[in-house]
Parts: sequence; C-alpha cells; structure tokens
Amino acid sequence: MPDNRIQCNIIESGLFLSEVAERSGQNISACYQCRRCAAGCPVGMQAGVTPDRLIRMITLGQKHEALNNLLVWKCVACYTCGVRCPNNIQTARITETLKQMAKEAGIEPIMHRTLDFNSSFMQAAGRLGRFNELEGMTIYETKTILRDLKKGDLKSIIKEIKDRAELGLAMFQKKRLHTGFERIKRLSEVKNLYKKAGFSRKEDRQ
Amino acid sequence: MTEVAYYPGCSLHASSELYDVQCRMVFSNLGIELKEIDDWNCCGATAAPKTDDFLAIALPARNLGIADATGLSEMVIPCSSCYSRTLVSQKRLLNDSKLKDEINSELNNKVEGRIKVSSILDLLMPKLHSGELAAKTQKKLSGLKTACYYGCLLTRFPCDISVDDNVENPESMEKICEALGAEPVDWGYKTDCCGASASVNDTEQSLLLMSYILKDAVARGADCIVTTCPLCQMNLDAHQKKVCEKYGINKELPIYFITELIGISMGFDPIAMQIDRHFVDALDLLKEKGLV
Repeated sequence: MPDNRIQCNIIESGLFLSEVAERSGQNISACYQCRRCAAGCPVGMQAGVTPDRLIRMITLGQKHEALNNLLVWKCVACYTCGVRCPNNIQTARITETLKQMAKEAGIEPIMHRTLDFNSSFMQAAGRLGRFNELEGMTIYETKTILRDLKKGDLKSIIKEIKDRAELGLAMFQKKRLHTGFERIKRLSEVKNLYKKAGFSRKEDRQ
Repeated sequence: MTEVAYYPGCSLHASSELYDVQCRMVFSNLGIELKEIDDWNCCGATAAPKTDDFLAIALPARNLGIADATGLSEMVIPCSSCYSRTLVSQKRLLNDSKLKDEINSELNNKVEGRIKVSSILDLLMPKLHSGELAAKTQKKLSGLKTACYYGCLLTRFPCDISVDDNVENPESMEKICEALGAEPVDWGYKTDCCGASASVNDTEQSLLLMSYILKDAVARGADCIVTTCPLCQMNLDAHQKKVCEKYGINKELPIYFITELIGISMGFDPIAMQIDRHFVDALDLLKEKGLV
C-alpha cells in the first residue's frame, strides 16, 4: 500500500508560512478550507490548483509545490477570492508574493510569459517614467521570442509574431496604435525609487 | 466650474486617448474642469505588485504627492487599474508612517495622503443624484439595451477599502444608463474578470474569460457592453472577433465607455468623441437606434 501520509517538517513549514504571511500581509493560518475562494476563482480550473489548495501547500510547508504551480503564474489578481473569503485572506496577494519568492529562489517559472510581461512593463515604466505601449511591447516580445528561440520552439515564435501583427494592424487601422514616447520631467525621482527597490535592469534581463 | 485633479494614466495618453477626450467633454458639460496633474508617472499597474512591493506603493505615491500639492480636494482616475493602485498606496501609507517617510525622502512633492481619490463613477453619481446629469441630456437612449460591466478593480481591493456600491452586484452604472433613457439588462458577469494583461501573456485563458462575459451579455439580449475601464474596453473590443470565432458567439457587441453614452445623450458629435476608433463598429448601433 502506498504511503499517503502527509509529510510535514514543523520547523521548516513554520518558517515558510511566516515568511509568506508577513510579506503578503495575509493571515494565512486563519484559512479553514471552506473553499469559497475556489468557487469564485476564474483560473483555478485551468490551473489545476485553486486558492484553498495553494494555502494548504503553504501551511504544510510544501515550499517547492507552493512556488511551482500554475495558479501562481495564471492568477489574474481579480481579488474575487479575497472578497469572498470569510477570513479576509487575499490569495491574489499571496500569488504576487510567491512570484517574487520564486524569482529570489532562482526557480524557473512554469509560465515565462507572465514573468516576462511584468518585468518588461516595469522596465518600460521606469525608463521614461511612463509606460509607452510600443516600447513595453517591444521589450516583452524580444524577451519572449529570444526565450523561445533558445528552446528551439519555432512554432510558438511564429504564432506570437502572427498574433501580434494582427493586433498591431487592427490597432493601426483604428488609430489606437500610439507610437509616441512620453517622458516625465523629474525622471530622477522615479529612477531613485527604482534604485531604492533594488530594481536593476541587468537583473531583470535574465 | 468646479476644479478636480485628474490623473489620466498611460493608457489615456495612448491607445485609449479617446476616453481622455470624452472625459474632458462630459465633465466640462457637467461643470467640472479636469485639471491634469503635472509630471505624473506610471502607477505600475498590475505589474508592480507582482514584481516589487516597494515600487507598487512608491510609484502611485509620487502621483499622490503631486496631487496633494495642487491644493485641490479630489482627484479622479478613470482607469480602474490606476484607480485601484493609487487608492491602495494611499491607504497603505496612512497606516505605515515609516514607509511613507522612506518614500517621501525621494520625492519633491511629499505625500500627505489628504486628497480624495475617486473613480469616474464616484464623480458621476453625485451629478446623477442632484439631477444635473438628467438636466444635461438632450436625447433619450431609448431602446438601447446595455450590459454594464464593472470588471474587477472598481469594487474589489486587495486590502480593506470600503466601496459605495454593492461589491458583488454594483448598480451605479445601471442607474446612470437609466437616467440616460437606456435599458440596462440584468446579467451575471458584470464583475467577472476579462483577463486584463493575461490577454498578452496567457492569451488562451483571457479569451476563455472574455467568452463567458460576451456569451452572457448576448444571452441576456444586450445590444452593447458599457464599461469605465480602458483595459477592459481594449480587451473586449480588440479581441472580440477572435473570441466569437473560437467560442461560436454569433453576435458582436460594441464596447462603449460610459462617457460615450453620456456624450451621445448630451448631443455631442460622435466623431468629436472619437467613437470611430473602436474595433467592433460602435457607430452602426447608434445609427440603427436613431441616436446619431
């Protein structure tokens, strides 16, 4: 008979639980698994993990599982789980924290595109102080395509270029494509905030 | 004219520029002058809290400092994402003076946290209740069935922020539509997520979420969807053809900004409001209903 008993190292799991709870600002231990969050989660079905399951992984100290599941990368931060939770736990804040912790732990994200989009957005927003759509999308597409190229995934590259060209053309036709670059005057303030956050462009290019 | 501080955000200066134009036209007619705050920066949108907790609070904080320095009492933010991030930042700094000092040390205009941060609906509702909105309407939008779509960030926050509307079933947009003479439909997906930026990095997931929204709106007999968020508008408009093909939805719905319906009702020229910049044609329906 297979051994299905839950393995749990009390000290290690406690440390992991406190770190996630503190950084996300969520009282994770209050969860009593009522699964109202699961019923409301728009991506849980496709992710194969619902917010209650993610919380369970954290309380059991299953660090590797908590940092390596599709919900962390597919969460759309709609905040439905948090609004429905009788204990006011915002799992969307937890997935945001886990994305950052996964990066710090050097774990390859299951969905690179999510990481690439967020980092490209932040990079573009920090360069001139405003998010210029064409710039942000160029950084993102470059990252994504280079990554697919490294993997030799030509099919994904072709699909990406086709989809983006279609959207770009439609935006151009409807005069929704904005090619200008806006730059703020006191850019040094934003740059200093980025510096304070330890956000370096080199680290971000990874 | 009452002056209200105005944070357009990056989207209203780029792909959703039409919404910026419409906001200025509509509010000016309601006696509110939108004073765009000087030298504002990107709020970090949904990417910041997924990347860095400090920047997620600090980037909107810089804008709050600039807004506080205007001496005005209220700032309106039409984009739901910018509105949410700015409100969350203000709330956090109210309770965390250490973080506030740390951020303020980098800022020219220090955050006081004094200015009231409002969504576009927060600014419209008093005008509805006072009767000023109805007084400015010239055309009744009779026979126009609207599915009012709120999306996520107008009513749901990652921290304790109270909302004037019902969180699970908001109705302020329906009330505005009724005042314009339109017929809002009762439907089930008004606060569901369109996928937001997932339309870029998790496209299939986002198309699925949009299919739920569009299918229900069509099933309830809506002629169009009405929204206040430029990201929801862009998603449901630009990707609609693809969603309809993939999920067998046989009716296309124009996705209006609330300002477009108010503006039409006020008798504004649809081209001056740039309603011709939609992906799913938004003028034909207005013509069909005899509104333009």
